[in-house]
Amino acid sequence: MAVLEYLANGLVFSSIIVLASIGLSLVYSIARFANFAHGDTLTVGAYGAFVGFALIGDVGPTVLGLPGGFYIAVAVGAAVAAVVAVVTQRLVYDALEIGAIGLLITSIGVAFVYRALVILGFGTGSLRYAVPAQRPIPALVPIGVRITTQEVAIIVVATVLVIGLHLLLRFTLLGRMMRATADNADLAQVTGIRTAQITRWTWVIGAGLAGVGGVFLGLYNQVEPRMGFNILLVVFAAVILGGIGSVYGAMIGGFLIGMIDQLTPLLGDLGIPIGTEYSYAIAFVIMVLVLLVRPTGIAGGDPG
Amino acid sequence: MSARAAQAFATASTAERRVIAVLGVVGLLLIIGLLAGGIGPAYLLYLLGLSGMYILLAIGLNVQWGYAGLINFSVAAFFGLGAYGTAMLTASNTPLGVSLSPLVGLVVGILLAAVVALLIAIPTLRLRADYLAIASLGLAEVIRIVIQNQRGLTNGNAGLRGLPLFYGEWPFIGGLVDRLPTVLIHEVTLGPVTLLGLRLGRSVWVGMFNLLIAISLIAVVYLVVRRLHRSPWGRLLRTIRADEDLARALGKRTYRRKMEAFVLGSVIMAIAGVYYAHLNLFVTPQNLAPINTFYVWVAVILGGAGSNRGAVFGGFMIIAIREGTRFLGDLLPATVTVGVDLIDTTYATVAANFAATRLLAVGLLIILVIRLRPEGLLPPEAELIWPAAQEDADA
Amino acid sequence: MTHAGPSRYDRRTVLQYAGLAGVVGLAGCTTEQSGGEDADAGDAGAEEPAPDVYRIGMVNSLTGSLADFGTYNERGVALALEDVNASGIGGVPLEIIVEDSESLPDAGVSAAQKLVNQDQVPLIIGAVGSGVSTSIYESVIRGTDVVQLSQNSTSASLTEYPGLLRMSPPGGPQVQVLADLIADDGVGSVAVAWVNNDFGQSQRDGFVDAWGGEVAYDSPHDQEQSSYASVVAEMANSGADAWVFLTYQEQTAAMLDDAYSNGYEAAFYGSDSAKGPSVLEGTPAGALEGMKTVEPSAAIDQANYQDFASRFESAYGEAPTSWSSFAYDCVITAALSIATADGFTGAALGGTVRDVTRSPGETVTTFSAAMDVISDGGDADAIDYDGVSGPIDFDANGDPVGSFQVFEVVDDAYVSRGTRTV
Repeated sequence: MAVLEYLANGLVFSSIIVLASIGLSLVYSIARFANFAHGDTLTVGAYGAFVGFALIGDVGPTVLGLPGGFYIAVAVGAAVAAVVAVVTQRLVYDALEIGAIGLLITSIGVAFVYRALVILGFGTGSLRYAVPAQRPIPALVPIGVRITTQEVAIIVVATVLVIGLHLLLRFTLLGRMMRATADNADLAQVTGIRTAQITRWTWVIGAGLAGVGGVFLGLYNQVEPRMGFNILLVVFAAVILGGIGSVYGAMIGGFLIGMIDQLTPLLGDLGIPIGTEYSYAIAFVIMVLVLLVRPTGIAGGDPG
Repeated sequence: MSARAAQAFATASTAERRVIAVLGVVGLLLIIGLLAGGIGPAYLLYLLGLSGMYILLAIGLNVQWGYAGLINFSVAAFFGLGAYGTAMLTASNTPLGVSLSPLVGLVVGILLAAVVALLIAIPTLRLRADYLAIASLGLAEVIRIVIQNQRGLTNGNAGLRGLPLFYGEWPFIGGLVDRLPTVLIHEVTLGPVTLLGLRLGRSVWVGMFNLLIAISLIAVVYLVVRRLHRSPWGRLLRTIRADEDLARALGKRTYRRKMEAFVLGSVIMAIAGVYYAHLNLFVTPQNLAPINTFYVWVAVILGGAGSNRGAVFGGFMIIAIREGTRFLGDLLPATVTVGVDLIDTTYATVAANFAATRLLAVGLLIILVIRLRPEGLLPPEAELIWPAAQEDADA
Repeated sequence: MTHAGPSRYDRRTVLQYAGLAGVVGLAGCTTEQSGGEDADAGDAGAEEPAPDVYRIGMVNSLTGSLADFGTYNERGVALALEDVNASGIGGVPLEIIVEDSESLPDAGVSAAQKLVNQDQVPLIIGAVGSGVSTSIYESVIRGTDVVQLSQNSTSASLTEYPGLLRMSPPGGPQVQVLADLIADDGVGSVAVAWVNNDFGQSQRDGFVDAWGGEVAYDSPHDQEQSSYASVVAEMANSGADAWVFLTYQEQTAAMLDDAYSNGYEAAFYGSDSAKGPSVLEGTPAGALEGMKTVEPSAAIDQANYQDFASRFESAYGEAPTSWSSFAYDCVITAALSIATADGFTGAALGGTVRDVTRSPGETVTTFSAAMDVISDGGDADAIDYDGVSGPIDFDANGDPVGSFQVFEVVDDAYVSRGTRTV
């Protein structure tokens, strides 16, 4: 049945969007501005992993269709994205004592810089990771689900990271300090939390997750300089839908938006003459409708 | 008149004086460049015309952001609605099969923008600022996608072309650009320097008339907006921006006022779109791409958010940044040998891929200006003081 | 009110100075009798000494969504400049000022404005995107004498502008040939995936007009989508026998890749933009087997193309795309136009640029051979340049003649299956 297939596609695409959305939401909760360079952070992660995989190569056992070396490359990509983000934060955002809109404009400039550097370093063409191509899992094809083990890997890794983040936020000291700082930075500082360090860590985790999202986007689609920028709007829609500043909201929002995007063909199947060229439009309209009913998003509560 | 100018200069703040000085220097350089034959007159007029468009957009955005504190990311959509509103009625290949006057196009563009602005404002204006930003961006994309795919109305990606000049049908002025002769200003050699040697042909006349249209539109809009700013309405808006709860506590209908500001700003953006359509003579759905919204925001912020003069200055700045970086490529030498291999190859890559370097330059410039002057180059100072208070102070 | 002192700028003085400047200015002016607009910056004399360099302009997609074509063009242009400047045009070198269109109409118009009104070039090669080319024509070129020659635009809309020349054949005849080919292969229903821009829309319209069978799926996709999975799913679920790709290489590769990993099988067809090294490299081995594409026939049997192709391979390590050959021919055609024109102005070049590519004239296939013929005092009618991309032969609408070649993917390589005409 076609629906199952769309759902499967939706699961994979949502995984990528969830990773990106969480990162954006984390940064927002700490830095208090919408980071338009977030999309290009995904791009940086994807290219970082490309270089990493080229260097590391096809080593280690193959898990879920991907060589061990690739998983290491994913970590490399995440690390590169994290480093770039932290450096940017120190050099650019930290020193600015301007309001959210000023930081937003600055992040537009930063996005241009990331993209230009990627083009200068790698050219404008698209690249692919040198992992073996795959056919869909045979056992699932009869029920109409067409998914490769690599795509399953994307879902699994994303789920693991999301659960890991949840555990981090709930049960570790770092997580508690992050939540406290996001809630009320001044109060957190008064209680002895070194907010500067916590901010740094939040950027690291947020950008790192984005980097992983970028690698998987590159694996799922392809690696090219505008890949992050192209997905940025949809990630923003997901974050808004879920509620700005709420990590759990970002997860829900990312999941929903990814699903909506991949389920649009269903409309055509049901006879509604709205083609897939309207899929982003549908996602945005749904986002606005949700906001009409819940003006702070699904899980957004206080201005967190 | 000069007495008022002298007084204005005397009371100008340091920021204003600096900006006036810079503008004066740049203006002088441009004139020298023109006379020396270094800058093509038609090209300069074209750039000024584009600046005019950005200025209108920036003023419109300033009404929404500077006055009412609304973070609106749908600028490109209203710009596009104005442009398409007039293009669908005046283009030679419009699927609607009509051929009306650009003035009708202007009215329709304004009405279209006003209606859509209301539709967008209703669900989004009650949202918090950052939600409004992304929601408005999303809805702008919806508008762009609809325009792109409703080919029966808009011709889709093929665009609408053959647009007439704005004044094309007007009595006397209409055919003037075709009837004016091409004027040649001969070269004048003063010692080692050759000056002039200009050819002023049709493109120059068209550029001049377009510039006059732009100046008229900007003047009207500027004066109207300034009037509103000083009116009780403007005062109320500023209060809402500063502290909406206070305004509501005072019994003011804040939602209504914000809606009015939003619609007014969007109408101004649509006017910019109409102007652009009859300047460029061609519209495509790509005119509504989000990147254009970002450029207008950069213009407003770099110019000085909340101030109309800042908006004007920002309009010039964004053109200077985007088009000026084109010329950097001509200025940089092709290779540089420093002896250090890494620097040499990096430089070679940068110089060879100049287009990517231009993107880098634009990004760095934005960051730099914000870093060095976060409040923008012409932040509102005098504008924040109520005029009556200022007169009392002088007396 | 207080003054800061007697103002030097009172109204009367300003008017005096303005009047003086006006009189001085008028003294140095003359008006031209002709009504036409010329982008020339000097006096128009009957006999001009040849400049020491011929500068023309080029609007190319160096960044943005069509940046890949920018690269193909740059390579073709580089090889062409080598050939032209080996001897120069009558000893004078040719220089090309390149500006970036950012693959967007607005930036393309800015680029053309700079080239035409600031750099004062009489001819521009531009642009890649069909929407960009028509924008430039409407906004900058129309009404002037400047010659515009698009290197890569294939939309049908360019045919409606006789003043806008192009080197790549229009997409219309090409998709007609494609439709005929698919019908001949016995296919009953097709799924058409087209890229949502002027180029794709034009190809889709032409194809749907020419196709006699059923169209089971007909939807546009954006050039920059983050996922093409839903497009592929829909195509697969439409029940069509064949999938037709009227889009670029990147998108074709992404979709075919997705089709492979979803285990979909169908007969694949594409227009020439869907063919190229990126498609082969971007898809798993065997995924494309049997895919047929139609492409304007590069003059593959001709020595000049083979020469060009081998030079290209040694310089860049891969076979040239047709886009590079179009760019190459644009430069050569421009150079020959300059060589046979009686002045380096838009009007003069406009008079020769078509004739150097079509009969009457001796057929020549390289720049140096053409220069040999002209050096004996020939004008534009003395030569008929057949380029590496084909015979060119601009018609009344500024479109080149195209004959088409069919390619099939066999063992992950493109194999020619002969030529077809409409």
